Amino acid sequence: MTHLLDIRNVSRRFGGVLAVNDVTGHVDEGELVGLIGPNGAGKTTLFNLISGFTPLSSGTVAFDGRTISGLKTNQVARLGISRTFQNLRVFPNMSVFDNVSVGAVGALPQGALGALFGSLAGGGARSAEISRRTWEALEAVGLTHVAGELAANLPYGQRKYLEIARALAMQPRFLILDEPAAGLNDTETRALADFIKRLHGTGLTIMLVEHDMTLVMSICQRILVLASGRKIADGPPDAIRRDQAVLEAYLGVDA
Amino acid sequence: MNVSDLSAPRRGQGALIPLLLALLVFVGLPAVLAGFDRGYFYQIANLALIFILLSASMHLVTGVAGLLHLGHAAFYGVGAYTAALLSTKFGLGFTVTLPLSGLVAALIAFLVALPTMRLVSIYFAVATLAIGQMLYLVMLNWVEFTKGPNGIIVTKGLELFGFSLSGRLATYYTVATVVALCVLAIGRLSHSYYGNALRSIREDDQCADAMGVSTARLKLEAFTLSAFFAGVAGSLWAHMTGYISPGDFKFSESILILAMVVVGGLGSLPGAVIGALLLILLPEGLRAFGDFRNIMVGLVMFLSILLLPKGLLGEVSALQLARRQLGAAWRNTVKGEGIGWR
Repeated sequence: MTHLLDIRNVSRRFGGVLAVNDVTGHVDEGELVGLIGPNGAGKTTLFNLISGFTPLSSGTVAFDGRTISGLKTNQVARLGISRTFQNLRVFPNMSVFDNVSVGAVGALPQGALGALFGSLAGGGARSAEISRRTWEALEAVGLTHVAGELAANLPYGQRKYLEIARALAMQPRFLILDEPAAGLNDTETRALADFIKRLHGTGLTIMLVEHDMTLVMSICQRILVLASGRKIADGPPDAIRRDQAVLEAYLGVDA
Repeated sequence: MNVSDLSAPRRGQGALIPLLLALLVFVGLPAVLAGFDRGYFYQIANLALIFILLSASMHLVTGVAGLLHLGHAAFYGVGAYTAALLSTKFGLGFTVTLPLSGLVAALIAFLVALPTMRLVSIYFAVATLAIGQMLYLVMLNWVEFTKGPNGIIVTKGLELFGFSLSGRLATYYTVATVVALCVLAIGRLSHSYYGNALRSIREDDQCADAMGVSTARLKLEAFTLSAFFAGVAGSLWAHMTGYISPGDFKFSESILILAMVVVGGLGSLPGAVIGALLLILLPEGLRAFGDFRNIMVGLVMFLSILLLPKGLLGEVSALQLARRQLGAAWRNTVKGEGIGWR
């Protein structure tokens, strides 16, 4: 059977640095997969290669049986791959509602005529659909009470959920979360873990890039480990915990 | 809270304020103008209306989509020259030249924007500056076609399907109606999901891209649409004044329109309208001060940026936008802050 996301022999070279080196892996429909690795392992680069932010040096990425390497970022997004960012990138001068609505707009046709002529050009229905998706996403992350606030005024923790809501408003098939727990305390991280599990429970396929090992170990079904741009392990959390190569990469033990 | 009861938080006010504005523009002001019955007052009112349209059209591309556009007056000029040439060479009337002026300006904007839209930040601004200067130099130097610095006398006034509208009050009503319709259209574009998609490009174009927003296409559309409205304003100007010359469309006019959008507040349509009113009426009101009025207008602009960094009604501070636009030219950033520019 075909995998939802199929990464084959993917490499990316930045000048003399091989940031991602011949990585092969996959994610199946409905999985919750973790991607871990020490700093500089190439996690975010791999992520950017999948979402089309960075072009591949070699290899292919396929989504739902269709090759997506070479597509533009927004085309990849419209196929149903949605993401959040490691360093929060909310739209600061827009309201929370407007921020989230961009995700819904992005997933739908974006012509000016609908906005200009309203219902005469199908804009009324689209507008209502965007509004509905936006409220649904805000409801899912529990931010409806601040919908009218400027995003810049939200505290850090809520901005994280705002980014997730914006990604959810696209109604993606595959959600990539880039270090969602960064900067959160233990209580907040636990709440986030519960939230991610709930999202996964709705049938969404999720890939989680994370430093926080406890978070990844506690919720992910399968974990990919990168070190120095190479994939060094791929398996369920228990196996990863005992994997010699992973321990070496993280603790620097000489083999 | 039941989600179905909620609707999007409203950006504008109720129907009352637009109604009052319509009354003011179509009943109150014409009554005052007719009361005084001085050509000078009509002229200022019409000029203010045309600049409201120019400022509103620039609001779409600079205020909402966040593209620093330094050549807007050139598209205003393209519209005016299209109207003037069509009416002097082919005898076409205002009813025909009005839409054609908009379309020609939009077509030229589309063609020059195709290669330009890939540019980011300051490089885009410089490209629009070059486009503006290029079009201006064509108006100035292609003497056989545009009559160069002598300008063109447009004998055909405003009309509707042959019915003359060139009386003072009729001219005012025609200009006001066209401007009101265009501003209404710009309002629908900028205060809708479409406007939000444009705003996301202003805020963070890479991130907007990752959300599925076709940034390149939307930038192109915003630029073309804004040129369309500028072209319409040009046609109004040509038929209204009866004489156009390249001097009306030079770089300083682009900067004047930019100043209107900035003073009014980037991202706000009411702000763009108020900015236009302020920068047209203030110099007229200060005529008694002779040459000092330019210094005073400059002072007002300077103070408004200093004391109201977001303009009167803005969503985003002009300094912030400029910093981001210029800062982005250095691709090195740490935690979203550009290095090398502060």
